[in-house]
Amino acid sequence: MIEVRAISKSFGDNKVLTDISMTIEDGEVVGIIGPSGSGKSTLLRSINFLEPPDTGDILINGELAYRDAARRELSKSNIALTRSRVGMVFQHFYLFPHMTVLENVCSGPRFVSKVAKTEYEERANALLDRVGLAEKRHQYPEQLSGGQQQRVAIARSLAMEPAAMLFDEPTSALDPELVGEVLSVMRKLVDDGMTMAIVTHEMGFVRQVADRVIFMDEGRIVEEGTPDEIFNNPQHERTRAFLSAILSHTERTEPAPEPHPTEVISSLPIVLP
Amino acid sequence: MSSFFNPELALDALTTLSLGLIVTVLLTIACGVTSLILGIFVALARMSRFWPLRLVVNGYVQLMRSTPLLIQLIYIYFALPFIGIKLDPFLAAYVGLSLHVSAYLAEVYRGGIEAVPKGQTDAAAALGMRPSVIMAKVVLPQAIRIVIPSLGNYMVSLFKDTSLAAVITVQELLFRGQIFAARTYDYFTIYTLVFAMYFAVGYPAIRLVMYVERRLKRGYAAKLPKKPADTRELVIGQEPK
Repeated sequence: MIEVRAISKSFGDNKVLTDISMTIEDGEVVGIIGPSGSGKSTLLRSINFLEPPDTGDILINGELAYRDAARRELSKSNIALTRSRVGMVFQHFYLFPHMTVLENVCSGPRFVSKVAKTEYEERANALLDRVGLAEKRHQYPEQLSGGQQQRVAIARSLAMEPAAMLFDEPTSALDPELVGEVLSVMRKLVDDGMTMAIVTHEMGFVRQVADRVIFMDEGRIVEEGTPDEIFNNPQHERTRAFLSAILSHTERTEPAPEPHPTEVISSLPIVLP
Repeated sequence: MSSFFNPELALDALTTLSLGLIVTVLLTIACGVTSLILGIFVALARMSRFWPLRLVVNGYVQLMRSTPLLIQLIYIYFALPFIGIKLDPFLAAYVGLSLHVSAYLAEVYRGGIEAVPKGQTDAAAALGMRPSVIMAKVVLPQAIRIVIPSLGNYMVSLFKDTSLAAVITVQELLFRGQIFAARTYDYFTIYTLVFAMYFAVGYPAIRLVMYVERRLKRGYAAKLPKKPADTRELVIGQEPK
């Protein structure tokens, strides 16, 4: 369980997070949506201290992970330890280019948890199998498509056997035809009961898999509720405006006389393994 | 006094000049290995969070970069004995050249480290790696790869700069050439030979650097054989594409 208590964060004069409190229960899938610059990614990055909040506490499984930066009570190794319990997947994958796919997936257990080599390699192979990339294990990231790289990045995070996974716009950097393969891997995680927080613009996906949706704007949580509540009956004007903007965008692609080729591809059903 | 190339004399000089070339190459290798390693630590020290270390190392780098190498060598060999630090010529040249080149390489390494995308550090940190592990296992391997062509060029420069050690009586190629030329007065033959011997080592070294640079551009996968060993397994995991 991840508990965020009243965190705030500024970059200079720019207040990116204002008094955010939220909880992610074990096994819960939380979708975080909102316009660009609303602080969604910063919130996610705050949870594992890549962007240390200025004030506020974060608790993971009831233990204080990061306290108020001003009080600085937690050591560097504590921070590293906590990070190892929360997996994170980035928009631009950030695979290590100098390591093979297998070495990437092994890198966490190998350099952090000091597990035996046979054990972590076995685990890594199983994970690569699970994301459908076992046959790519000796290739380098540069030889993989974006979708494949993101699946490897997910496997790399899972190798640490995290208690929760944070997804920071995992499909935003992908070509439309590669989005489906990443979402299907994420869906498998949902089915396995993984605790997840997903920042994304894939509204359809959030609607299907999320237990709860948080709508953020200008560094604040404007509204939260079940997907049904947020998408079908939003209470706030800003939520309505955001959703209608996204909706009108998706509607516009359909009745257009000659849609752009990429739009045709993205609307095709994608067959997945 | 001949003003043209004298083959007989050249043959005579070849033995002593070859010994000189060996000294030159040994000095290059010794200083090269030392500064390739020392340079990394200097670069890391310059980025340390401990400010006194940063201050000291910064001072050292600026001192080395803002004064001539020749003066540095002369100072170490001729001036330091007055405060009780007496080094034999080879050792003085080794220390002087290594300190000088390390300062430059530290700048090269620092540039390489800063060129590694921030996302690499984020991803490693998110896995729970400590800062020292992130540097050693994620950032440095990528940074070093980025700077290998520069390092190669500095190594070739070092090879050429070892000729300055002649001034502090190191028995390297130029020094032996000078002695031989002064004895026979045939400057043309001897210095042509010395020239050619530097070229004979320096040119292949330059070509090697160019080759390595081209190869590195081909990416991390280039060192792999064309066919991955386990193509058979392709059947198992079907690609959605």
